[in-house]
Amino acid sequence: MSRAEAILGETVRNAGDRIRAALAIRFRDFDMAEEAFAFASLRAVETWSRDGPPRDPAAWLYAVGRRRAFDLGRRAKVRNDAVHDPPEPAPDPETVLVAAFEPIPDERLRLIFVCCHPALAPEARIALTLRTLCGLSVERIARAWLTSEVAMVQRLTRAKRKIREARIRFEIPEPDAWPDRLEAVLATLEIAYAQAYEDAALASDAADLAGEALRLSGLLADLLPLEPEVLGLAAMIRLTESRRPARLDGAGAMIPLSEQDVRLWDRDMIGEAVALMRRAAAVGRSGPYQLMAAIHATHAARLETGVTAWSDIAKLYDMLLSVRPSAVAAVNRAVALGEAEGPEAGLAALAAVGDQDRLTGWLPYHAARAGLCAMAGRGGEAAQALKTALALRPAPAERLFLERRLAALTH
Amino acid sequence: MQYLLIIYSDEAFSNQATLQEISAAHMRLGAELQESGAMVGGNRLRPSASATTVRTVGGAQSLHDGPYAETREQLAGYYLIEAADLDAAVAWARKIPGGPNYAVEVRPIWPIGGM
Repeated sequence: MSRAEAILGETVRNAGDRIRAALAIRFRDFDMAEEAFAFASLRAVETWSRDGPPRDPAAWLYAVGRRRAFDLGRRAKVRNDAVHDPPEPAPDPETVLVAAFEPIPDERLRLIFVCCHPALAPEARIALTLRTLCGLSVERIARAWLTSEVAMVQRLTRAKRKIREARIRFEIPEPDAWPDRLEAVLATLEIAYAQAYEDAALASDAADLAGEALRLSGLLADLLPLEPEVLGLAAMIRLTESRRPARLDGAGAMIPLSEQDVRLWDRDMIGEAVALMRRAAAVGRSGPYQLMAAIHATHAARLETGVTAWSDIAKLYDMLLSVRPSAVAAVNRAVALGEAEGPEAGLAALAAVGDQDRLTGWLPYHAARAGLCAMAGRGGEAAQALKTALALRPAPAERLFLERRLAALTH
Repeated sequence: MQYLLIIYSDEAFSNQATLQEISAAHMRLGAELQESGAMVGGNRLRPSASATTVRTVGGAQSLHDGPYAETREQLAGYYLIEAADLDAAVAWARKIPGGPNYAVEVRPIWPIGGM
């Protein structure tokens, strides 16, 4: 790799998302911003190889990208309401080198709100966010969502067209729309991370996706430091991610949280999360993400205390269920109750989870039931639950884990 | 930019007291839209039993007694409004009153001569 390419790579890693966001917001056009950024990157390698790298490579990329976008806009004769005055003839990329640079505005927050607009389909929001903010390739995003590259291109194109035609605004939402819009942003990051997390059980391939979700949640916490739920989500993702090294054993089987080797947990990341939670608590407005972070933090405390405070966890799930009811939380609550008060209490709670019809086709329910039955000494029922769970096509890591449990019961 | 707010509601809903309240709420919303300058137009439609559909299939036209789609929720009325962007249009759509179950579709108008 040439020196110019190395500098370009480093600049894109450090400032690429900022430059892309600034271009997209300035021109209100994702495709144009993408093309302009690609053009600037190509030009950078040529020009920097010949003339040496500029003093500020990021500003250079932005200036050249901006100039390219103006040209593209003029060429397409697009009247763009984002650009009020016709641009002055911009200097050549080469002379931009010596010109005074306009600082790159930080438009990432505005861009997140556009990409995560609740009028877009949830899966389109995630794809658009990963594409435009993180610069992930369409091929990479398609792979994570187990769909073809063509289908992903179509999904992105549809989303971009909707943004344009329905006129989704490239601004920070008004106060009356703020709660809905922020919730959509948080839900998008949550789902993106959950997807990467689930994938991680399949292959280490998803670590980069999880890393992007981690980074985005941290960025959002920096940009909105007074929104406690934003801090809560960032903490929750960090606490979950801190356990990544402990999640699989040597054979690739899933290790459940309560059996993980705490020495493998990432202490620094846990520390970061706890600091975020303190800042959130100082604002004094609780919410589901802070509660989920608190549940994970209670698990993380085993690192210090050696035990898990299951009754605290059960209480936190009660609180979570009162603000954001879900089958996942109800099943996890039953498991915590089983640990805190005995398996029969857990099984009773599990039986009381609503909508039993739908639960019968849901793997985590049977896995939880198997655990509680085994704890209660009801081996036959536990084995039956494990067999049902295994029939529901678990990911390889979980399959290994469930098969082992079943073998331990039947031998 | 103009948006059409299309109201789909349950025609079987027949609680007279509630229907009168809804009707009054529509009058208030209409006044609010007028006052803010967002109102371009709007109407309530007669029930879908009064609808006739002219369908063209392969160039041949035929008439059908009834609405385009036989669903529980039927097109009941619309507002045509002027709004700066989707968020502003959705904010108006949220204000549209109705019974216990209804939906409002927000559609940008394709400007004449636009692409």
